Amino acid sequence: MSEVKIKSNNLNVFYGDKQALFDVNLDLNEKEVTALIGPSGCGKSTFIRCINRMNDVIDICKVTGNIEIDGVEINDENLDVVSLRERVGMVFQKPNPFPKSIYDNISYGPKIHGKGETKSELDEIVERSLKKAALWEEVKDRLDEPGTGLSGGQQQRLCIARAISVNPEVILMDEPCSALDPIATAKIEELIDELKKTYTIVIVTHSMAQAVRVSQKTGFFHLGKLIEVGKTEKIFKNPDNKMTQDYITGRFG
Amino acid sequence: MSNEHTVKSYEEELQFLVDSVIKMGSLTESQMVDSMDAIIKVDKDSIDKIIKSDDEINKFRSKIDTQIMTLLVKRAPMAIDLRETISSLKISQDLERIGDLSKSNAKKVKPLPLDLPEELLSNLKRLGELVIKQLNDVLDSYVNKNYDKAKEVWEKDEQVDDLTYIAMESVIDFLSKDKKNLDFSTHLIFATKNLERAGDHITNIAESICYLIKGEYLKGSRPKGKVIQE
Repeated sequence: MSEVKIKSNNLNVFYGDKQALFDVNLDLNEKEVTALIGPSGCGKSTFIRCINRMNDVIDICKVTGNIEIDGVEINDENLDVVSLRERVGMVFQKPNPFPKSIYDNISYGPKIHGKGETKSELDEIVERSLKKAALWEEVKDRLDEPGTGLSGGQQQRLCIARAISVNPEVILMDEPCSALDPIATAKIEELIDELKKTYTIVIVTHSMAQAVRVSQKTGFFHLGKLIEVGKTEKIFKNPDNKMTQDYITGRFG
Repeated sequence: MSNEHTVKSYEEELQFLVDSVIKMGSLTESQMVDSMDAIIKVDKDSIDKIIKSDDEINKFRSKIDTQIMTLLVKRAPMAIDLRETISSLKISQDLERIGDLSKSNAKKVKPLPLDLPEELLSNLKRLGELVIKQLNDVLDSYVNKNYDKAKEVWEKDEQVDDLTYIAMESVIDFLSKDKKNLDFSTHLIFATKNLERAGDHITNIAESICYLIKGEYLKGSRPKGKVIQE
């Protein structure tokens, strides 16, 4: 049994008057993939955005309750958010490389976090990150070309390489394959399988089949509440909650 | 299955699959009734019809296979739908095997003499009636998704085992009286064994139904009666 890496206790999120999450209690295990599923607007993205305090940038957003990473409360006012985001990387739905070269896309993070002092250190980080993201072989001869010139799938792997360049502990993925074709999706999924040996991964997905393929644990959200969480196999073969069953079998409405 | 699918045609495809299994089940049941009848009455005229009905059952099996493949590809069923799909596959396999056994029993009628003593057949007849009842009950539990009834069938196979033993004994007793009876007695022993095997397939079906309903396999080992060692 893996150790718990991230723990949320009675987590509530409000956007102004509207409550987006209601008392969410969810444990995420270290070096495991947890998939979060649920209809649009159910709060799954809001939940992962709490893990690296992305909601801080939204003025009207208020978070109550706790989220702990390795037992340390991250909603603490005194917590250094920049170093939190160094530990908790994020990959979004649409690949969003910086309008810079492939090399600079990867080296940017380490540079601002003071991780690569010399050119050779940065070279090494760029190579290691691209290799980990299974992109190295495809781009090694054109590192100075713009990242935006890559295909969609490559761009998404570039974003993953960028996320892992600063050596995070957790990677949050918000529908990372929804803009990709099946082959690019397969590559990302294979990559996730490899990355989970090193990182704790949380993935939001609308594809049930993807959740089954990549995750060990699945949580189902509905209207801001965590309805059911359990081993992925159990959730998709024999969920306890009727609402979960209705959702995954396409009977919602 | 409570709520309906958002996609109506998915709903219809699943229902069509279940209906096919039910129809296949009812064909298998009548074939078994006919083959038992043929043995007890030593009715050689009905053999061909029974053999032919097995073709029908086999056709159903292929049809169900195709339906399942299509469902898997088209819908990637999950949870209860996945269990419904997989249990249809398993149940149709067991029904097909039961059909084979009934066909095999019908073929055994051919070498039987017309004047078989009644005491020789009475235990076989009781066994046949019990297995037919078991098949009927298990199909009923499938139609009504009745977990308790399926489990009851599963437990009752013990009686099939016991009765098989008794029926075997009576044939062997008869055989030991006169070696001349060897030929057709052997056929009756095989027919008895076939019924016992059909009983085992019925318990498989019961297990599939229990899994379908609750999503977990029946716990513990099934009660077993006296069995003839193979």
